[in-house]
Parts: sequence; C-alpha cells; structure tokens
Amino acid sequence: MADLAIRALKKSYGATPAVRGVDLTIPAGEFAVLVGPSGCGKSTLLRTIAGLEEADGGSIEIGGRVATDLRPKDRDIAMVFQNYALYPYLTVFENVAFGLRARKLPDAEVRKRVGRAAEMLGLGPLLERYPRQLSGGQRQRVAIGRAIVRDARLFLFDEPLSNLDAQLRDEMRGELKRLHQELGKTFMYVTHDQTEAMTLADRIVVLKDGLIEQQGSPLDLYERPRTRFVAGFIGSPQMNFIPAEVAPGRGLRLSDGRELPLKAGRLAGIAPGAVLIGLRPTHIARAGAQPPATGVARLSVRADLIQPTGARAYVSFRLGGVETTTELEAREAPRLGEEFAVDLDLDRAVLIDPQTDRVI
Amino acid sequence: MRPAALDAPRIRASDRRFGLLLLAPSVLLLLLVGLFPLVYTLVVSFQQITLFEVDTSFAGLANYRMLLSDERLWESLLHTAILFSIALPLELALGLAMAQLFLERLPGRQIFIALLVLPTVIAPLVAGAVWRLLLDHRYGPVNQIVGWLWGEEAVLLWTVNPLLVYPAILMAEVWQWTPFMFLILLAALTNVDRSLTEAAEIDGAGFWLTFRKVVLPAIWPVMAVALLIRGLDLARIFDVVYALTGGGPGTMTETISIYTYVLGFRQFETSYTGAIAFLVIAILTVLVVGAVKRMGLAR
Repeated sequence: MADLAIRALKKSYGATPAVRGVDLTIPAGEFAVLVGPSGCGKSTLLRTIAGLEEADGGSIEIGGRVATDLRPKDRDIAMVFQNYALYPYLTVFENVAFGLRARKLPDAEVRKRVGRAAEMLGLGPLLERYPRQLSGGQRQRVAIGRAIVRDARLFLFDEPLSNLDAQLRDEMRGELKRLHQELGKTFMYVTHDQTEAMTLADRIVVLKDGLIEQQGSPLDLYERPRTRFVAGFIGSPQMNFIPAEVAPGRGLRLSDGRELPLKAGRLAGIAPGAVLIGLRPTHIARAGAQPPATGVARLSVRADLIQPTGARAYVSFRLGGVETTTELEAREAPRLGEEFAVDLDLDRAVLIDPQTDRVI
Repeated sequence: MRPAALDAPRIRASDRRFGLLLLAPSVLLLLLVGLFPLVYTLVVSFQQITLFEVDTSFAGLANYRMLLSDERLWESLLHTAILFSIALPLELALGLAMAQLFLERLPGRQIFIALLVLPTVIAPLVAGAVWRLLLDHRYGPVNQIVGWLWGEEAVLLWTVNPLLVYPAILMAEVWQWTPFMFLILLAALTNVDRSLTEAAEIDGAGFWLTFRKVVLPAIWPVMAVALLIRGLDLARIFDVVYALTGGGPGTMTETISIYTYVLGFRQFETSYTGAIAFLVIAILTVLVVGAVKRMGLAR
C-alpha cells in the first residue's frame, strides 16, 4: 500500500514557482530520498507534505487519507529539521516528550515511550541536560528521538546531517539506515548530497526546477540515467561528458578527429549529428597488454592533473576538447605529464542529445 | 584575535593609571550631577526649609514623621498603584497581541507599523492635551461617537465624573504606550527561531502550549526589560494625568509625581518634598530590585 501519494502538487512563493506539479508515490516502509541542487524545490516539497506550507494545487495522501488540507499535527507525520529545532528551554527528556505531552498522553506512557526511544538512540545519560549542553551529534539524536517517540506513519527529514562534520555525518548516516530498518516506517529524506542519497535510499527522487527529473533505485539512476542532469548529478566523481559526432556506419568521432568504434547496432536509430558521450570515471581504465575488446576504444592521452585519494587516484586529461577524469588504482596512475593509453568502455557509456539533454 | 580577558592581567600599572586618568572627568561629572543632588536632597529632608521662611535649622526626623500622617500622600501612592497595575498588564497584553498579529507578512505591514508607532513619538504632555480635547464633553469627537452609538446625545464628563476619570486617563496612557510594547515585542517575536514553532506545530502543540514552552522563554528577557521600562515610567506617571485632569477632580487622580510637584513647586515645602522624594526612591528601589530578581535578569 502506498504510504504517501502526491498528485500534481504545486507550490509557489509569490511569483516564484518552487514546486511545479509533482506526482510521487512512496510505498509503505520505503526510504525515499529527495535530492537535487539548492533551489530545486526539494525542501518546499517536504514542507508542503508536512503541512508547514499550503499547497497551491494538487493533492497529498498520507496513509490512504487525503491530507492536503489537514493541519500538520493531524497528518500523522514526524519531522527532523536541518538545525534540529530543539526547544532550548526544555531538557532532553521534555524535548522528546513534548509531542506526547501535547497529545495529553498519561505520564506513565510518556515515560515508557521516551525511555524506549532514549535506549534506541543512546540518549539515556543525557535526559536531564539542556540542548545547549550537547554536541552536534547528540542534538541530532535528540531531534530524531523526538520524531520517533511519536510513532508517526511518515518520517520527514530536512537535510538532517548537513550541519555535522564529515566523520559524524558518516556515522549518523549509518545510524539512520539502521533506524529505518528497525522501525520499518516510511522515511522521506531531503538532501543535496548525492552520496547520502545513494547510500540511504531505496528510492531516489531527483528534483530539478520544481519537477521530478527521474526517480528509481540508486543503481537504476546510476546505470540508466534518463537525462544529462541526472547522469551528472548521481555518482562521484562526476560523469564525463565528451562531445562527439555520430559518423554513420563507423561509430563516433571526437572533435580532434579520432574515431571511437562501437559495437554493431549500438548506433541503430541514432541520427547523424552531434552527441555527448557520458562516461563514468570508473569506465575509463588504463590500457593493459591485451588488445581492447569490441566496444572498447583505446586512446593515448596526457595526464595533466592527478588527485590521489589513497587506494585510488583521479587522473584528468583532455579528450575531445574537454577535461576528462578517470578513476584508477593508485599504483596504475601515471606521472604528471606522462602519455598513457586508456580504454574507454563505450558499452557502458550513455549517449546524450546535446539539444534536448536527454539520453538517447 | 585573542579575547581581551586573556590579555587583561598583563596590563602594566602605568597603563592602568593612564586609563583611570581618562575615566576621571566623566566619573566626576556623573558624581556631580547624580550623587550630589541625591545627597543634598537627603540633607535638605532633615531640615525645615520652606521658601517662605529664612529658618533652615535641622528638624531631625520631623519631616519623615509627617509622611506617616499625610493621607493625601498615601492616596496619591494608591492612585499611582491603580494606574500602574491596570495600564501595565493592558499595554503588555495589547502589545503582545498586536505583535503576534503583525508577525505574518501582510501587505502594507511596514506602513501600518510606522502609523501604529506614532503615538509613542508624541510628547506625553501634548498627548494628554490632545486627549483632553478629544474627550471634551461638548465639542469632543469621543462623546459624539458615543452619541451616535448610543442613539441620543451623550454628555459624558470624562475629566470630571469620578467614574470616568480613570478610564479616560487609562485610555490615553494605553493609547500612547502600547505601541512601545508592540514594537519591542515584535522585534523579540521576529527573532524566535521559526523552525522551533514549526517543530511544535508538527508535535501537535496548540497555540498556548507553544507560546508558554517555546515562544515565551525565548522572548522573556526582552519582555522583562520592556516591562521594567514601562513599569518605572508608570510609577512616576505625570504628564498625561496632569494635562488631562490636573490630578482632579479634587485630588482623585493625583499621582505621587503630581503631589510631589505640587508640594515642591506650588507650596514650596522644600524639606518635606525632599522626604517624599526619598520615600519614593526607597519604594522604587525595593520594587526594582525585587523585579530584577524575580525576572531572572540579574543572572
């Protein structure tokens, strides 16, 4: 059953549209991540689902119930804010208990539920402290505790990890994923960080300019992006986009005249003209001793930037007039300025129409 | 940059002397205009000076003994207390309600705020005079409006009728100073983290719970200072009452400030006025110290 069903949702601020007609269905228990660059409308969409913003058009169903005009407290949702939004004058216990007290639960029940949430999140020793006495990670846990204690149907997260330092963020990311597995509830999570999206999501929803650009499983989006935007947004380091020309019957020709042979039939149905070759850094390898397989193009290039990351290194070179990056094992990496041969796995490449920015 | 506190112990003695030298003129000036009159008033209050006689000999505690039996004095204190205890909560409640209202982004908000704040920039004496005209029983628009609503000509003697003088004074006072509360509380409310009230909204808290647990603690320091400023102003209320009723009818609306003024500058009871001034200082000191402690401002 769908836990969240959004139809033709629209929201603008004055004359500026933020969400321009979004249709989205999230099945129960799924971890959905809304991702996109800043200003793409992802936070607005989340806030509209929460009821903090009023929709200009369309409908929202939560748990099979139309919620478009309900107040936030009647929507059966819980939310974690980017800045945690802990009540500064209440203790951790009272912060977590606030929603239960507001709903006038008996004191014994409040104690039981807060105790359970505190145990789950390791908040036990902090319950009598005030938010200002906590570290960033602890505050984050309290904010999550406040959300889960209410036992809502839908959990909304608005960039909850963006205020944490890198190490803590990795740690909390793991905890969130574990929490989702333990609770078995529907999560909706907003982030601009594609790594977070990839690691957490069952389903990624890529938003751009207030519209859904593409949605699907992380692997689906990684392997089969439908637009140049999604191809470039998902995956790190970013996908390379190399301009080329479709040469009928022969394959692809780069701007420097070099030709890239393709497997037979790969270009079937593609009109001659300009294309962009979308090729992930991991699909460019250093050439070995064996001749390249069919569908793999071997080219000689000159390394002009090397960024070691430990076990691996990003090596950049110019190809077809643009800076292109490959990810190699550190020991395979060439020296700066060295000429070396790379194998482009064109079988895994996506071809993009530069006019429409859509994958062909 | 290093915090100044870390550097403090290393200030050399000569630097310290130079610093004190620089401070000296302003400290002297403050002592001269602040402390000297205070001490001199105390001295005068133990003498028996009136401006009609040349005898200035010391009278011991005679003036202070007189305070106890001066009924007009205690009545004027009561009048002040009445105005204080009605006007202050009213200004607070109205100011808060208005501030809450203006928190939303309404069209023309800036203009409305500017207009609403106008009464506060008028000199209180002028405001009192204007209200006296507004409330004039024959030509005043207030009686005219009441007449329209009532259906027949209304002759309400606002500044004379014992039942109406306090409402009249309170009307003028609240009209003039609610905007002050409004402005300060609007600033305080605007500063309340929006995500906190949103979190409370999602948590299912109603307006009152949110206000009590989330908003009030956040605006409290500012609100307490606003209350203190208005409270002190009300404790020495003079202008509006003086312009509107002159303390009358009889001495019915005479506040402590008006009584002190009348004694000192109409009846020229200089020494006795000094004693009253000291009584007022004592009362206000106790009130302010108590209020500051209660409000948790001195932490």
